[in-house]
Amino acid sequence: MWLALLLIIVLTVLSIYGAFIGAERAQRFFNQPPLVVYWTALAILLIVGFAAFRRLVRVPGLLLIHAGCVLILAGGMWSSQAGHNLQKKLLGIDKIRSGRMAIYEGSSDNQVALDGTREQKELPFSLKLKDFRIEYYQPVYLRIMSRQGRQWKIPVEVDKEFPLGDEAGTIKIIKAYENFKIGTQEGKSVPFDDPSPGSNPTLEVQITEPSGQTSTQYVFERFPGHSHGQDKFLLSYHRVISDYISELQIIEGDKVVAEKDIEVNHPLHFGGYHFYQSSYDDKAGQYTVLQVVSDTGLYVVYAGYWMLCLGVIWHMWLRHIFSRFRAKST
Amino acid sequence: MEIKYTIQGLLVYTTIAAYLLAFVTTILRRPKVGHIIYLLGFAIAVCSFGYRWYHVRHVPLQNLFEVFLCLGMIYPVSLFCRKALRVGGYPADMLIGAIVLFPAGFVFNAEPQHLPPALQSWLFTPHVAVYMLSYIFMAKATFQAICQLAGRNPKPGENLLLPEEATYRIICVGFPLLTLGLILGSYWGKLAWGDYWGWDPKELWSLASWLVFLGYFHFRYMFGKKHPRINSLWAITGMAAIIITLLWVNLSRIFSGLHSYAT
Repeated sequence: MWLALLLIIVLTVLSIYGAFIGAERAQRFFNQPPLVVYWTALAILLIVGFAAFRRLVRVPGLLLIHAGCVLILAGGMWSSQAGHNLQKKLLGIDKIRSGRMAIYEGSSDNQVALDGTREQKELPFSLKLKDFRIEYYQPVYLRIMSRQGRQWKIPVEVDKEFPLGDEAGTIKIIKAYENFKIGTQEGKSVPFDDPSPGSNPTLEVQITEPSGQTSTQYVFERFPGHSHGQDKFLLSYHRVISDYISELQIIEGDKVVAEKDIEVNHPLHFGGYHFYQSSYDDKAGQYTVLQVVSDTGLYVVYAGYWMLCLGVIWHMWLRHIFSRFRAKST
Repeated sequence: MEIKYTIQGLLVYTTIAAYLLAFVTTILRRPKVGHIIYLLGFAIAVCSFGYRWYHVRHVPLQNLFEVFLCLGMIYPVSLFCRKALRVGGYPADMLIGAIVLFPAGFVFNAEPQHLPPALQSWLFTPHVAVYMLSYIFMAKATFQAICQLAGRNPKPGENLLLPEEATYRIICVGFPLLTLGLILGSYWGKLAWGDYWGWDPKELWSLASWLVFLGYFHFRYMFGKKHPRINSLWAITGMAAIIITLLWVNLSRIFSGLHSYAT
């Protein structure tokens, strides 16, 4: 028991140390050989515990808790990079542990850039990106601040005039551009919405002063704070992203064998891998970046989670509740 | 520190005032009146949480303001501990309620925020809610541990457990919730970020808090009630780790990580 307590204290101290050094360094730290020795010792101690302490086997809750911890440790080690290397050596299973792949809209790819190295590996199937899109929370607002510090917030609705009070006049959104550009027409600068790849969301705003004098301002989402000295109002336009969606197809040979729209929290699972929405082309929205993670060892960890949860709930709650009911009924 | 001149702010301040008044009334030996005021404070706390829910259009557990608003609804935990566990401490609960609502009222920003894509999951509510519930139980356990260290026992005739036993009983209720919170978080991490364990500072601190209570159980199994003061110190250390997990990790720049949006 002293040894168990010691290992718990050591892991507590190591966790606190890991929290101070940041996630990336902590991950490397906890996968170093001395820590691998620690994890192995912990797993062995838990297994030896079943033989040494009969109570761990006789009491169902304790059995579930400790067996659950063994499974979590075993699954964690099996799913680590070292575990994958071992599987390659012993079983000849050569799987990518984790990596990233960038796929352009309309094209397919099976190359994965491995995490932590400059190597690339191929998946046994290809992924095709049908479409990538970003969804925004609605309604989108235009924020207005006068030089005196008064503030307004109006929904972005084209051609609708909003009064700002007797002293400030009115404001109207003339046009919302997705990819604002300026061209020349007959020697004059003319704004237009460029249909070619790119993104420069902009609002064209018309301000009418109480005197009837009108002026036009452009509000760029990508360049917040852009204003001229003579502008009466400071305007800002910012859309909040609600979701990133990649419409994917899995292709084996020439056949589409699976299809899924992946979003954050909704990965695709296929062929022993999970595919996650990781990043995207924030300039033009032309490609998506997927995170590829092997599922090796995952279900062992999940089984451990279930056992640990059931064990703790049984041991600390349910058996007391049941014994109380039993005592009442007798 | 800022005062919130809004309906939300008013509700928070009224709850704090009710809890403090209930505390004072109970201390002044008017426990029944104190209990009624405590119940009233709880009703206002529920309204405050409900108002926020209506206002932000999602379960308000996104940031520290909302989380502390939730922690302020402590009354059911008090009642459960009293009726089911025979653990007292109503006045302390009133004080805990006022203390946790203080940062919501005066410190944290209440500006409503949209849920970022990572938080749009069915796991968002259960993961945070079980953690908050476990934190309230652990806070109550810590109070009992402090009573044990201070040698304050319940009065004869109150039919309440002694502080050491009370600490143990409450931790036995809170620990499964802490475990569930950790595991739900891990499962959610797998769905959202691709890994069930990301070695993020918040994850490591929550593991550390879980491990401290695990150590408490092992130590208490080894020695029983032979060293009650050390048992109590384990419980207090666990609560310190929880406070760091909840507050320091989100507020300090030392611990930037995947959970930074929760500020």
